[in-house]
Amino acid sequence: MPSEIRSRSWPWVAIGVSVAVALSLAIVSPADTVQGELVRIMYVHVPAAWLAYLAFTVTLVGSGGYLVTRRLSWDRVAASSAEIGVYFTGLAIGLGMIWAKPTWGVWWTWDARLTLTAVMFFVYVGYLALRNTADDSRVRAGRSAVLGILGAALIPLVHFSVVWWRTLHQPASLLRPDGPAIEDPLILWALLAGVVAFTVIYVALMVKRIELHQVADSIRDFERSADRPVAGASVTAPQLGGGLGDE
Amino acid sequence: MSFVIELHDIGVDAGSMSILRGVDLEVGPGEILGLFGPNGAGKTTLLRLVATLVRPSAGTGSVLGTDLSSQQRYAIRRRIGMIGHVPGLYPELTLGENLEFAARVAGVSRDEVGSALAAVGLAGVIDREAGVSSHGMQRRAEFARELMIDRDLLLLDEPHSALDQDAVELVNALVKKIAAEGGAVILVSHDRERVARIADRTVELTEGTLE
Amino acid sequence: MNAGFRSQVAAVVERDLRRERRRGDVVWVTIPFGAMALFLLPLAIGVDTQLLQRIGPGMYWVVVMLFGVLVSVGRASIETGAQRDAVSLLGLDPAAAYVGRSMSAAGLLLVYEIVVGVVAVVLYNIEVIGFPWLVLTLVITAVGLGLLGSLAASLVSSSSAGSALVPLLVAPLSVPLLLGATQVYEGLRLGRSILPWMLLMVVVMLVTAIVGVGTARPLQET
Repeated sequence: MPSEIRSRSWPWVAIGVSVAVALSLAIVSPADTVQGELVRIMYVHVPAAWLAYLAFTVTLVGSGGYLVTRRLSWDRVAASSAEIGVYFTGLAIGLGMIWAKPTWGVWWTWDARLTLTAVMFFVYVGYLALRNTADDSRVRAGRSAVLGILGAALIPLVHFSVVWWRTLHQPASLLRPDGPAIEDPLILWALLAGVVAFTVIYVALMVKRIELHQVADSIRDFERSADRPVAGASVTAPQLGGGLGDE
Repeated sequence: MSFVIELHDIGVDAGSMSILRGVDLEVGPGEILGLFGPNGAGKTTLLRLVATLVRPSAGTGSVLGTDLSSQQRYAIRRRIGMIGHVPGLYPELTLGENLEFAARVAGVSRDEVGSALAAVGLAGVIDREAGVSSHGMQRRAEFARELMIDRDLLLLDEPHSALDQDAVELVNALVKKIAAEGGAVILVSHDRERVARIADRTVELTEGTLE
Repeated sequence: MNAGFRSQVAAVVERDLRRERRRGDVVWVTIPFGAMALFLLPLAIGVDTQLLQRIGPGMYWVVVMLFGVLVSVGRASIETGAQRDAVSLLGLDPAAAYVGRSMSAAGLLLVYEIVVGVVAVVLYNIEVIGFPWLVLTLVITAVGLGLLGSLAASLVSSSSAGSALVPLLVAPLSVPLLLGATQVYEGLRLGRSILPWMLLMVVVMLVTAIVGVGTARPLQET
């Protein structure tokens, strides 16, 4: 069935095209006048960091959605997005460190954005750890939704605090009111293509992860409708004479 | 107001197991219901469900006119009394302090604590910590709590266990009082004879299903 | 009729403090542990008096944040299933329960902060300056940490991983409180403005309280 094949293969096509564009731009773009070839790490680092923010925002939306509607589909959105977000936050931090060692001479500096990203990473590692503790899907959904909201509500305050505490990092390069500060337009395009490609990957991963959650849930529902064990059935009447009394 | 408890095709799951399935039950005002069943049949879960403490996984139901899935369930909890087979007192607090806490939260005058404990014969041990009191004394203190707070629905899990004959009479008197005032009572027990004497009706729970 | 919100809060605070007094976890476990941590740090770092004086305030706040959370997961804060059932059926408003728990935790944290603070001043020769502001900082961090800890504790209640998870949940979210508290001391020392930091800590406190109170009922309903 071609239509089914088309609907199933669109994520791969979209990923293929956007990654191909981003990759070729990242390769053909010139080396930066200051950073040299190291600028190419930015083509992955910046989109990964962008995904972290996107993913945790979606987790906030999913958490709020669950608390309001009590539909587990919202919880699946929040959980899937947090998983992807933690992965890409880790990637952004790791790449940032690889970039920082030759550029700044150290693996880690205590600048504001770095610190904030690390805090976010730990907040959502805690979120995933919390999800691991509850068996009941509704209890888990409710509790993680509260943490999803608390985390998102406090992260802007963490941001303020670390910015006040220390501002060593270069100012944000893309979102500046007076236009981008990057001189070579090809570098800018490569960054933008990376952001687009990573966003497509995020959407595709989300679709797959939510599907996986749905499959897991329907397996559980199927077990319930079929011969699901009844807790009380495993308790049988004591066998008199068997082991007790006569030996 | 028709029924105090109304359950239709209720199911409760825990993890990969069903604890209750297809439970239908109606209990009217003034009714005393005896609930029997073997160990692990789901009696305690059924009581906690009726107390709005467990959410149904399937089916519909209402208790004291409030839907079991309602977000506002906590508003009717003040009217539901439950004594489980494990005491719910704080072991660090004295029996008197435990009841005083219950009175303050439930909006009952603190003066009632003394008379309630006296009614269950615990006036002499009001300053004893619950943790060092016997199981029977803790149960009596819990009955004192139910005496003190006006309940419209009383759920008792093995009410007669660990109690001496005098205390059993006291429990029966409390049960009859609530029924006489138009409330409802569910008694879970293995002691069929004793419960049959005060219950209006008895039902049997086997493997998560009422018969 | 149910009791009013305020008297329910008061009942919860009284219950928690009574339980804690009889258990003595804060006095016999949390405070000695915090003092011990302050004692261990110089052993690892070195006993240069000037260095210790410089890093002392920071070390003190780290110890307050990391081990202070234990107040919220002490045995006196843990309820069994039967106790939770009994309290729910008294008609306790989950929001009142949260506020009460946070208030008693904040009170115990304040005691912890003061005792451990005296230990820090003695061991590290810290200069105590800006007295009224310092007291205000202690109170705000105690309340903020109490609110965060109680919320985290309610999220993991009745799960086996419970108390081990609470510090992980609270630590990253308490970063603004930690930075605020340390920067207020620095500001007082150097004569800089401390108002933004005070304000930030108050906002953290308020946001946590709003989330905690706002989600208490839905959380209970899960």
